[in-house]
Amino acid sequence: MKWVVLGASAALALLTAVAVGPAGFAVDPVTLAIIRDLRVPRALLAFLVGGSLAVTGSALQALVRNPLADPYLLGLSGGAGLGVVAAIALHLGGPWILPASAFLGALAAIVVVYRLGVVTGAVLDTRVLLFSGVVVGAFAAAMMGAIMALSPAAELRNAFVWLLGGFGSASWQSVSVFAAYAALPVTLIYLAARSLDLLTLGEEPAQYLGAEVERTKRLVYGAASLLTAAAVAVSGTIGFVGLVVPHAIRLVWGHLHRTLLPAAFLLGGTLLVFADALARTVFAPVELPVGVVTALAGVPVFVLLVRRWSR
Amino acid sequence: MSVLAFRPPGRGTAACFPLLAAGIVACTAREAPLADRLQDDLGHIVALEPPARRIVSLSPSTTELLFAIGAGSSVVGRTRWCDFPPEALAVPSVGDGLGPNLELVLSRTPDLVIFYASAANQAAIARLDDLGIASASVRLDRLDDVPLAARMLGRLTGTGPRADSLAAQFAERLDSARAARRGGVGSRSLDRVRGVAVVAWDNPPMVIGAGSFLTELVELAGARNVFDDVALASAQTGIEAIAARDPDVLLILGDGLPAFAQRPEWQTVGAVRRRDLVAVQGSEFERPTFRSFEAVLTLREALRRSEARARGRAQ
Amino acid sequence: MVSLILEARGLVFRYAGAARSAVEDVDLSLGPGELLALVGPNGSGKTTLLRLMLGTLVPQRGVVAVLGRPLAAWDRRELARAIGVVVQREEATFPLRAREAAMMGRYPHMGPLGAPATRDQEAVDRALERCDVASLSDRWVGTLSGGEWQRLRIARALAQDPRALVLDEPTANLDVAHEMELFELAAHLARVDGIAALVVTHHLNLAARYADRLMVLHRGRVAAAGSAADVIRRELLESVFGWPVEVTSWHGTPQFIPLKRSEET
Repeated sequence: MKWVVLGASAALALLTAVAVGPAGFAVDPVTLAIIRDLRVPRALLAFLVGGSLAVTGSALQALVRNPLADPYLLGLSGGAGLGVVAAIALHLGGPWILPASAFLGALAAIVVVYRLGVVTGAVLDTRVLLFSGVVVGAFAAAMMGAIMALSPAAELRNAFVWLLGGFGSASWQSVSVFAAYAALPVTLIYLAARSLDLLTLGEEPAQYLGAEVERTKRLVYGAASLLTAAAVAVSGTIGFVGLVVPHAIRLVWGHLHRTLLPAAFLLGGTLLVFADALARTVFAPVELPVGVVTALAGVPVFVLLVRRWSR
Repeated sequence: MSVLAFRPPGRGTAACFPLLAAGIVACTAREAPLADRLQDDLGHIVALEPPARRIVSLSPSTTELLFAIGAGSSVVGRTRWCDFPPEALAVPSVGDGLGPNLELVLSRTPDLVIFYASAANQAAIARLDDLGIASASVRLDRLDDVPLAARMLGRLTGTGPRADSLAAQFAERLDSARAARRGGVGSRSLDRVRGVAVVAWDNPPMVIGAGSFLTELVELAGARNVFDDVALASAQTGIEAIAARDPDVLLILGDGLPAFAQRPEWQTVGAVRRRDLVAVQGSEFERPTFRSFEAVLTLREALRRSEARARGRAQ
Repeated sequence: MVSLILEARGLVFRYAGAARSAVEDVDLSLGPGELLALVGPNGSGKTTLLRLMLGTLVPQRGVVAVLGRPLAAWDRRELARAIGVVVQREEATFPLRAREAAMMGRYPHMGPLGAPATRDQEAVDRALERCDVASLSDRWVGTLSGGEWQRLRIARALAQDPRALVLDEPTANLDVAHEMELFELAAHLARVDGIAALVVTHHLNLAARYADRLMVLHRGRVAAAGSAADVIRRELLESVFGWPVEVTSWHGTPQFIPLKRSEET
């Protein structure tokens, strides 16, 4: 029953997103072209990104055994931002320069955090991972500040706007690239559902129940980071989805990842599609960055969840 | 409250001269000290006995104005962004204009520091007040600000007559251009006014709104900004909003075809599909100055050429 | 041929930077249907020895074999189907229902996705019954008492359908009744179901009454191994535990009494 509600909400979100917009809804060729080439890919991309962020958040919460984990904890949003700022400051051109530089920056952060997290004996220590993520993120933010202060490029202002997140440049191209790319990490995470359940018991008990702990940690870390890097590359840093959606799902579906992950994907996608629709209609034609909408909605929801948690 | 806050609504500027003169006299008569006390655009008193001899100008627009009214020789410091006129480049740079490096500013031993009117400069202005150095904040966001700023700067630098004359010319030209536009004389042979969207950035799409002087330039050039209902100077929007408003032309600040024009999602915008893109470049498009009319002419010419191309295609 | 469930020879392990070995030259064997009790003072190496037997730690010297095959040849899932382990302390990050937690014992038998099959449900039901926690099925794990959580984890280990159980201090939080029931259960599983058990415990007296064999560790070495009579000896216990004791007998099984200061002769 709850799956029906979730599926219906997802469908409703997508339909709403396709129906609303400055061009209205009509069947003349011009409007249809706008709907087909702009609104539909935008809604789909928002859905895929929202779903990916929610799945990543769920997986990371199990990996680091902390309910407050979210996809940006591992320093990669800082890396992405640094990549973008560096690219703009160096006046690098090309239509794909922003996503590419964001992705490469995120990758660099992922590698550094991973190397820092591997302690003696080739064991991935999740507490060190968290700490390294915070440190790398702070370093990247400082570097960004330095570049912004020293570089004469006037366009750097726009880097910040981009970072706040948005689907304004969604296209069929970006949807298909993201979908093709995201399929693998999402699948890998889903296949690790049982291991993630076991990991939440603790690494030693998980091992004795058959989990290949080191392999699972590496796999989940890798998949989650790559997925988040792609999400950031294509739409900037959109917060709260990866943190709050898993918890909302946990309240209804429980904590076993076999059902948690797909439900989180659906809810994350639904919410982000709604958020994007709001972001572009509330003050039309001015668009709010999507990250602002998710934060505004996310904070009160988060407070409610924390209340329920501490009972 | 600024003496110069009396903004004439654009008609008969010359008539205000006696009023302004009377106002200034009245102000100075009210204040006991014999110094000629001016208030700047933020209501702050400029604690200086004009003329200022050593000016640090912390804004490219005021630097340009100072040189234009003949006070260039008094400019001893400029920001790294001040690039016009070429003579300004010989003046030592003191770094950024917003949140300036006071040490560098003071190293030029100014008797007057001119700021761009912004809340971000409040702290610096307060510091200068403590040190007893005069400062003036100048608003230069819209075309109407240009003559007013010129007059204030003229007063402060002792180049009153020349500044007033240039300001008057500019204001007159502005009035007649606006009147002409209203009367329909400025429009071209096509019956309707061409719609323009000024695209400042593509990812996310940012357009210029009514709050920017660029919109004024576009209007004086005989066109209209399709986003003139947006009060902000610039705003984030979506490709769909641009496509829905279907501007005839996209105006880009820069040179050549922008990279985003190749992207498939931008082809939903008619102007991009038809390649009706106009690129303009130059610091006269970055701020309102005495050169703004040249900017208008450049724009008008570019729009005319683009229109001719469009008509050529239609045949 | 009946192979030993667990067998270790000449195990040596030293933690990085430690002054002495945690485990020095230890042999251990656990046969089918046997209940082996591992005892010793704190820091004698009991938990380290368990970790070596189960592959969490790799010995610097010595070999471990499970069901006749070297430990290195086993993958984790296989091992989990053969040995059920209950560690000393465990805390779940997220709230789980008792039944969900117990079902995790079946994960080594289940594929990566797909709901638990009927035989999984039945195995869990049986295990919950055996450990007297069937009534707690729908309770949140976080609301269980220490003893209930302990018994639930043992049920989970049983649900793995193992050949042997390894229990690290399983009676730590249990009251007398449940403590006795745990040893009764372990003994029953050993004798009747043929599930061997390696039990680390502080309760030497109970271990003496229930275990087939005992092994006493002292500073990483085997101080004594064998039947209760071989191990419960006054001089041995006094040197290992560093406290004066007296040895008596209960129904033919030696028991030891630690002496009060006023009782010392």
